[in-house]
Amino acid sequence: MAKILVVDDSSTVRDEVAGFLKSNGLDVATAVDGKDGLAKMKADPGIKLVLSDVNMPNMDGLTMVEKIRSELGNATVNIIMLTTESSPSMKERGKAAGIKGWIVKPFKGDAVLETFKKLSA
Amino acid sequence: MTDSLVSKVLVLDDSPEHSAAIKKFCDENNLVGLKVRKNRLMSVLRSNIDLGAILYSEAYGASPAENAEIALRIHTVRPELPIILRRESATNLDGINESIKRVFCAGYTTNDMSSLGKVIDEYIFSLVYPNALVRGISEITENILSSQFKQLTTRWDTPYIVRDRVIFGEVFSLIPLESAWCRGYMMLQTEEDAILGVLNRDPLFPESSFRDVNSLLGEITNLIWGAFKNRYIGDAAATSGNQIQVPLVVNHKHKYISFGTENPQLCFLYTLSDENTGKTVKLYQRFIFNLSWSPEDFQEIVNDTNDLVDSGELELF
Repeated sequence: MAKILVVDDSSTVRDEVAGFLKSNGLDVATAVDGKDGLAKMKADPGIKLVLSDVNMPNMDGLTMVEKIRSELGNATVNIIMLTTESSPSMKERGKAAGIKGWIVKPFKGDAVLETFKKLSA
Repeated sequence: MTDSLVSKVLVLDDSPEHSAAIKKFCDENNLVGLKVRKNRLMSVLRSNIDLGAILYSEAYGASPAENAEIALRIHTVRPELPIILRRESATNLDGINESIKRVFCAGYTTNDMSSLGKVIDEYIFSLVYPNALVRGISEITENILSSQFKQLTTRWDTPYIVRDRVIFGEVFSLIPLESAWCRGYMMLQTEEDAILGVLNRDPLFPESSFRDVNSLLGEITNLIWGAFKNRYIGDAAATSGNQIQVPLVVNHKHKYISFGTENPQLCFLYTLSDENTGKTVKLYQRFIFNLSWSPEDFQEIVNDTNDLVDSGELELF
């Protein structure tokens, strides 16, 4: 049962982020877009932390977050957006959906590892 | 890197008495004049991807017949490149045989180079690109390339204006750019083997394939697009909501891409070098504002410095 779900349409990012987290002892699953992420969340209620991109095909990251909260009824999983976006309106939409934080790419694992460990415990 | 955009022009003119005037004109008008031997002309035209125009002499070739034949062949191979004809006395195309007149866009003489200046402005420097935009694009891209290729050194050439439609390398990405002041595309082009060479030296990607190249180029494109959007486009509400689109056409056999416009393109060349092995990766970045272009409305997004969080840092809510 994974603790962290990494959602990104880029295999480069999935490999980089999941690889870093796994090398630091964390249990990680991945998803290729928002639709896949939603399905993975439904299948694995033990996920404690979601790291998700915003701009993805099929279902974007913010829509996925809103559906995790509404359709899955999951109000407790910690969600952090990892994205190129930094627009205030997108951040506000994320906050309204109950995300925990926002990281503008590129990913710097060392800067966030301890926080990720706490949020996925 | 200078602030002025340049453009590369192929100079097909063997006349020594006019070469000084042409060189002076190129130097004063941000043109990089390239010369090529006649026996290599066609191979250069087929392989060189970033030309702005051709300066062609009425006396080029061993005879008028050969002069016409060469001009026709150039135009057949590269119809998108404006061919500007240097003439002895006329600054127009009057008196040129109708069968080849169509391959030339204009004429000029070295007695009055202002005639060439007008043609260059019309065909090459027809779009104004704000200096802040040009500088910003190279800064954004250089930062991102450096972060993605930590083991390589990134350098870039002075940006230039291109009329070519030829695709460099085997893999390219396209992403739309949409805002109230510009609508078009950013395109990145590179060579698959060069990227594979870099990836296969990285222990995280021990046996990379073309799919890894695709993914990496896709993510680089995404990062550049995101930074461009954050700096120059801003909130989604600022976009025009324009429904107009035109088809893009790619011809793989001829490595040719069309954006449905004769507009020139803004081009940046980045060279990533491995200082240990000497191997390099070339990445061409092109901006094609084929749908709309209003540089007078261009502005940088100014963020409240209190709200700024460095990239890679977690902003907790």
